[in-house]
Amino acid sequence: MIKKIYLIGNPNVGKSVVFSRLTGVQVISSNYPGTTVEIAKGYLRLDNEKVQVVDLPGTYSLDPTSRAEEVAVSLLKEFSKEEIAVINIIDSTNLERNLLLTLQLIEEGFPVVVCMNMCDDAVHRGVHIDIAKLQELLKAPVISTCALTGVGIKLLTERIKEAKSCPKGKLDHQQRWLEIGKIIELVQRLEHRHHTFREIMEDASVRPVTGLLMAAGIIYTAFKFVRFIGEGIINRITDPVFINIYQPLLEKLSIYWQEKGFWFHLLIGDLINGKIDFKQSLGVLTTAPYIEFGMVLPYVVSFYFILSLLEDIGYLPRLAVLLDNLLHRLGLHGYAVIPVLLGFGCNVPGILSTRVLESKRERFIASTIISIGVPCIPLQAMIFGLLGKFGGLYIGGVYLVLFSLVIILGIILNRILPGYSPEFLLEIPPYRFPPLLMLWKKLYFRIKGFLVEALPVVLLGVCFINILLYYKLFDFVTAIFAPIVHGLFGLPKEAVVALAIGFLRKDVAVGMLMPLGLTANQLFIGATLLAISFPCIASFVVLAKELGLRGLIKSTLIMLGISLIVGALLHFAILR
Amino acid sequence: MKKISLAQIKANEAVKILEILGGSNLESKLLSMGVYKGKSVTKLSHIGLRGPVVIKAGRSILALGHSVAEKIIIQRE
Repeated sequence: MIKKIYLIGNPNVGKSVVFSRLTGVQVISSNYPGTTVEIAKGYLRLDNEKVQVVDLPGTYSLDPTSRAEEVAVSLLKEFSKEEIAVINIIDSTNLERNLLLTLQLIEEGFPVVVCMNMCDDAVHRGVHIDIAKLQELLKAPVISTCALTGVGIKLLTERIKEAKSCPKGKLDHQQRWLEIGKIIELVQRLEHRHHTFREIMEDASVRPVTGLLMAAGIIYTAFKFVRFIGEGIINRITDPVFINIYQPLLEKLSIYWQEKGFWFHLLIGDLINGKIDFKQSLGVLTTAPYIEFGMVLPYVVSFYFILSLLEDIGYLPRLAVLLDNLLHRLGLHGYAVIPVLLGFGCNVPGILSTRVLESKRERFIASTIISIGVPCIPLQAMIFGLLGKFGGLYIGGVYLVLFSLVIILGIILNRILPGYSPEFLLEIPPYRFPPLLMLWKKLYFRIKGFLVEALPVVLLGVCFINILLYYKLFDFVTAIFAPIVHGLFGLPKEAVVALAIGFLRKDVAVGMLMPLGLTANQLFIGATLLAISFPCIASFVVLAKELGLRGLIKSTLIMLGISLIVGALLHFAILR
Repeated sequence: MKKISLAQIKANEAVKILEILGGSNLESKLLSMGVYKGKSVTKLSHIGLRGPVVIKAGRSILALGHSVAEKIIIQRE
């Protein structure tokens, strides 16, 4: 009787895609090792019985060398071997490396079904595998699948029952590799082919000169595309909808509102020159939806579209190789680019994915750097929206300040924290071109995630702020912090409210700066401060979870200190 | 005979691994990724002066930090 099914395999062999196919639970998958940092669970119907399926983080062997691998191995031993089935997922294009884990699983007596995934890609690359022969040699069922298109998944579920425990004498790794050599000889045939264009591009991306040129080109194009698509959506879709359809509707509604009391203030906000102004009115029905749908959502869509594309193709690990040198100086190694890039979308998944880094020290440096120097896309969208009209110089300025901060802070942390930077060891996946449908699914999944998380906070947040403003409850806080904000940062004292709201959500906070009538320089300081000061509440919770209380306090003190210093420096440098 | 490491040779050289220094943790990690004593690998590139080294071992492409590459002693074929 099978009680639990585990999916195990090397990193980046498509475990999460198989998991989604088996259970119907949508999880994020990407073309780089270590996408799965949280263990996903789902259910599969097996002979009219619901059986739990667990997607384990990727591991190269059963002797764990990193935290993710430890988790995978310890979960596997939770139940007795008679009660579980293990689906060992293998990348067919790289059978040799994958077989080490397979042999270990069989030796240990786990009931194994081998799933030869990515079989279509193997054929493309001229790798032919004799499945029947492999099955005979391993004495375990072997099924060839292509999880992206769903080929072979049905057969896989049918054959899970056939998994049997047949422990063998244990070998050491050296003996296993010999054994694998023999198996490969018997089952694998490689077609000799000339280098394809894809292989030439794979090569070029990890060579110094061509690699850096490609990286510069790709980053520049990606940035341009994010802005182009984002602005396109705003100008062609969201702005026309808000201004031509939604605004007249709200104005009709507000005519019937004779008394402009509490509810009017709460829902519509202030009228600017007798009219609703989506950027300045600050009502739950006016500015709140405009910030989320009219300013932020278009960029969330465009950013995640480009990021997902780069992820699925498999470009990011190549970027990690090129940036390893620079990141070493910050006490990290190349692989830290992945949490950082995810952080540009939202700091929460960025900080969560620092789990791919080995040491506590690295995770602390990476998380602190992300929460200080990496603005999330909602914040960036608002910065584009607000500073854009003053020219690219101001936007560029914000990024320049943040980038310098990351470098300086990284170098300092690397110097003062005890320990050393660990060694960089990363497998570079081949380029893959998943079907567009997968890309859309992932994009839909991420946008839905964004809306579910952001929308309630934004609506309730604006509601809450308006109540406090209506009853003038902010005046007390403003009075306390006014000397710092006004004297040190050169911002009007009303900006205190905006900076405080930054703790709730960064996009709303920048939105609160809109009606204050700030100069370009003041906006620049305000936006930069919002980027580096306190993380929003969601990232705060994740920071606490990942770093522990002491780490959180350390990280927070660093943030506060830096905000004060940078705010004051910028104030005296450009306002005076 | 002087020991030569993966960090010291030029790109595009095919070599055989003689020894992996630097402790059993690194050795077993590399071993589980298919890089072990006696294995033939090809160095693909070397990024910058003290940057990572990219090698091809079997059908996988691996990036090794400079300090890792220095610990892999090789023999030219």
